[in-house]
Amino acid sequence: MTLAHPLANRLVPAATVLAAALVLASCSPAATSSDTSTDAGTPVTGGTLVYASGDAEPTCLDPHVGGNYPQALVASQYLETLYTKDADGKLIPWLAEDSTVSDDGLTRTVKIRDGIKFTDGTALDAAAVKTNFEHLLNPETASSTGYLALGKIDSMDAVDATTLELKLKTPDNSLLESFSMPWVAIESPTALKRTQAENCASPVGTGPFKVESWKKQDSVNLVRNADYVLPVSTAAHAGTAYLDAITWRFIPEAATRYAALQAGEVQVIDNAQPDAIAAAGKVSTIKHLDAPRPGASNRIELNSSKAPFNDAKVREAFIHAVNVKASIDSLFFGTAPQSFSALSSVEPLAYSEESLFGYDAAKAGKLLDAAGWSNRDSEGYRVKDGTRLSLTFPVSTSQSIPAEQSLFEQMQATAKESGIEIKINLLDLSSWYGDLAKNDYDLVSAPYTKVGPSVLSVLFSSASTIPAPSGYFANHSQVKDPALDALLETAGSTKDEAERKDLYTQVQKKVLEGYYVLPLYDQQNHFLYSDKLKNVGATTAVATPTFFDTWLAN
Amino acid sequence: MSILEPALPSVDPVLNPHTARKARPGGTFARQIAAHIPWVVSTAVLLFFVLAAIAPNLLAPVDPLAINPSEAFSAPGAGHLLGTDESGRDIYSRIVHGSRASLLIGAAATGIGLSLALVLGTIAGFGGRWLDFGVGRILEVLFALPGLLLALVFIALAGPGVATTVIAVGLTTAPGYARMIRAQIIALRTSPMVEAATVLGRSRTRILTTHILPNALAPIAVLATLGLGQAILWAASLSFLGLGAPPPAPEWGTMLSAGRTYLVLAWWMTLFPGLAIVLVAAAATVLSRSLKSRGPR
Amino acid sequence: MSASAAATNRSHGSFGASVRWLLRKLGGGIFVLWAVATAIFFGIRMIPGDPAEAILGGPGSQASPEALAAARAQYGLDLPLHVQYFGQLWRLATGNMGTSYSLKIPVTDVLRELVPSTLILAVLALLLAWAMALVLAVLSTRSGGLGTALASGLEIVSAAVPHFWLASVLIMVFSTALGWLPPVSTNTPAGLVLPVITLALPLAGFLGQVMRDTMEEAQRSAFALSARARGESETGVLLRHSLRHAALPGIALSGWALGSLLSGAVVVESIFARPGLGRSLLSAVTTRDIPLVTGVALLSAASYVVIMALSDIAERLVDPRISAP
Repeated sequence: MTLAHPLANRLVPAATVLAAALVLASCSPAATSSDTSTDAGTPVTGGTLVYASGDAEPTCLDPHVGGNYPQALVASQYLETLYTKDADGKLIPWLAEDSTVSDDGLTRTVKIRDGIKFTDGTALDAAAVKTNFEHLLNPETASSTGYLALGKIDSMDAVDATTLELKLKTPDNSLLESFSMPWVAIESPTALKRTQAENCASPVGTGPFKVESWKKQDSVNLVRNADYVLPVSTAAHAGTAYLDAITWRFIPEAATRYAALQAGEVQVIDNAQPDAIAAAGKVSTIKHLDAPRPGASNRIELNSSKAPFNDAKVREAFIHAVNVKASIDSLFFGTAPQSFSALSSVEPLAYSEESLFGYDAAKAGKLLDAAGWSNRDSEGYRVKDGTRLSLTFPVSTSQSIPAEQSLFEQMQATAKESGIEIKINLLDLSSWYGDLAKNDYDLVSAPYTKVGPSVLSVLFSSASTIPAPSGYFANHSQVKDPALDALLETAGSTKDEAERKDLYTQVQKKVLEGYYVLPLYDQQNHFLYSDKLKNVGATTAVATPTFFDTWLAN
Repeated sequence: MSILEPALPSVDPVLNPHTARKARPGGTFARQIAAHIPWVVSTAVLLFFVLAAIAPNLLAPVDPLAINPSEAFSAPGAGHLLGTDESGRDIYSRIVHGSRASLLIGAAATGIGLSLALVLGTIAGFGGRWLDFGVGRILEVLFALPGLLLALVFIALAGPGVATTVIAVGLTTAPGYARMIRAQIIALRTSPMVEAATVLGRSRTRILTTHILPNALAPIAVLATLGLGQAILWAASLSFLGLGAPPPAPEWGTMLSAGRTYLVLAWWMTLFPGLAIVLVAAAATVLSRSLKSRGPR
Repeated sequence: MSASAAATNRSHGSFGASVRWLLRKLGGGIFVLWAVATAIFFGIRMIPGDPAEAILGGPGSQASPEALAAARAQYGLDLPLHVQYFGQLWRLATGNMGTSYSLKIPVTDVLRELVPSTLILAVLALLLAWAMALVLAVLSTRSGGLGTALASGLEIVSAAVPHFWLASVLIMVFSTALGWLPPVSTNTPAGLVLPVITLALPLAGFLGQVMRDTMEEAQRSAFALSARARGESETGVLLRHSLRHAALPGIALSGWALGSLLSGAVVVESIFARPGLGRSLLSAVTTRDIPLVTGVALLSAASYVVIMALSDIAERLVDPRISAP
């Protein structure tokens, strides 16, 4: 879809990954995309790109339904969004032409671009967009991500063919950012009329590719959209995509995936593991694309709703009792710079505070002594009133990669020296969600991808501690602070960009200084690809790669 | 049925020094020694790991949990005999300290499987036609369900962990044992010895406890030895699926599965725990075959 | 060998008895299928987690109450348990396995697509395992002490190798280092080599041990002695009598081997990224896809029943004496 290179300056098709990553860590703006220099040559039309995904196969190819990252990855090839981000990370209109908001912030008018058709021939207009939003808000669609993003829409009206007017319940300054996410992508209203099963199997969009067939448990076959119209000329070329087709395969085993890339059976792999990235750095025929996801950083949340973490001193002590830096350095081979923020480094409003997060066992010990955890039991763990200082840590084996699991194990070993016991439970996703719903955790690492700082509302407002019917809630540190709620409320509705930035900075300060989270690194999103593939690097606003400009050398 | 069939005789000249001597009366002393080698080696292997399980610090004084990120992925060498893992932990030490967990998992799972099988097998073999029929059907159902499905569903029910793994593996292996025990008991029940006792008017319970069970137990010992290795293999497979012992416990299956991630970078992380599993499983098989051919028939 | 087979075989001989035998097998098979369906139905409902959430993409989906209610109604999950149970049995009896929660297509369609793939893998692995076991058994019986020791050692070690370890090592050696074979399995000859070897090797170890034991016994039996006395060659004895004898436990083991192959397929299909029943079973259990779990379990139970019946028949063909208790 979008030809934007958001933060192309960070997307490093690196020959020597280690070096590149180090450069990236120290001075990212200076490192520029080397697309032009390495991908010189005349583009060739034709060929099939084989993409190997390590994610679980989506159960539905329409990202309106449910709405997770694996869906966004594949849907970014055949669906497009109203807004997107350009190479500099700036939000730009895409299928939309423009948008304005009323003074009270309660009416949002969106101009839809003219002359664009879905691959089934249906024309894109305001009514089509309205149908999409209605589809997302309909409970029967069972959308979770897109549904939340559009939650503030009260009613909508297609005033004319190109004008959509949205009435909001409360002002929402993150709406355009929400429009840039593939979970709110625009599909053909004609196709949406089909049954959900049919639409899940072959959603119809405006993207440079379209879904040809889906062999369940094997691959999704995408073919070039021969009538593609590029909405905004941000790409290196116009017209249709160079590639004839994309075969989207699912290869769950990381080692097999990398072996398949080495053997030339596939040209792109996602979820590349740190050791494979490091190994690929020594292979001249394999290149690396590092595209951290927007939204939250990858962090450990400390459950403040119950003992022992209802005591801020204990939270602070825990954060100083673990040595995150040493572990990241050795386990991630320089592919993941340490984060000191609740937000991803690709978020312009991210606020970082390194001084809060150093390993300092002596300080941890003092804090724990002061908090009353001064006695030790026979195994060397601290006790207070006969209770051991023990932390339950459910870990989802499908969300935490092996290197991350090892990082947690190392934290466990280091925390033990300070007398803190960490109990790691490796669980499948269903059981993991089950433990969270039962409030049976003290520590948890849960990813959350969203465009813009409004993710902070999702993660830290009191409202987010109220569970959905499934028991799910996003505020895992269970911060309930009226002052924080008020800040988030104003930050989310103000029309003043400077005030928005200031308020979100205050929010992040409060969260970090309250020791509710231990940031680790950005949500890792690494791709490795064959050097036969040229012009790789364009991504959507949620950092999913797109292949409109990509061509396959003979 | 199943590979663990105790009724099948083994007259392997190499694995069974006893028959080897008989079979080759003209054999030289050296040949007799050679015939003992597999038996001696496998006993030594098992003894080593049993010792490791009882007193790990004797064999490996280094702390198996001590992390040292700066020494991660060290190749086997002087500092670390078998290298280090991704957290800089000593692999040799982890294998030695891991034998307790792995052998216990194997032993406990085999124990559960065999106890369950003994109950079912005895009921079926000695309880009369209808009980035999009933148990037979239960076993048929257990056999028809793929072992891994049984284990997966059970773990999903009870949550992962050592105890669950042990019970899951025990459940999975029980039907195989039960059939063999039943066959054994039926064979004994129709033996002249038991028929004579019946004619003499001995009670069923008496016959069961004095004649049948003691004679059925010898093959069970053989099965237990063989099952030990198999249970460790099963547990390793579950660890591969992320359902094994929780970290940081140095359990072989978990180590093997963690090492797989770094196969290209640090082959020693996978090779050595894998070797430990193969060694124990193979040694248990050799020993059990040798026991089988020596045991009372 | 299953004793129930021996029991039912006693009546072997007349046509009526054969029909009775067949009916009893059929009844036993239906019982097994019913019991498996029942066990799965109740077993999987005890697993924590709402099936309606599984339908809507997992517990993290933040599904609205309306969506959950809609899903429950659509899949009949709002009905009383006994109504669901008997409804399920009735549908199964009429060949309707329902719609997969995660794939949203009929389970029968999923199975139809996946069965050939797993079947190819399993049959090739079984054949290869049989061939390896036979060759080892024959060679070692013919070549005396050292050969026996070598074969025996090989069998024992290969039976002790975990599938996933073997698979990883094979990929590292043959795909990454040598570049001879693809790491991702497809239904081409080259794509099948590694997964088939991974599945066959441990199985060959088991089969080999059992077959060699039986063969050695047969070699010394009165049967073989008299054949030798009649002047038959040693090879003749081996091929005509002992081998036939050794095939028996192998045949009887085929039902067991099938189950073990399916369990092995879970691991092998995951590592070699091969679509199939094993991989689906794993993902179905983790996503709580009840209809798909039930479908795979019933299918494997049914094939177990069929294979057991076939191996009963095969055993009797190979050794007519088997009807004697």
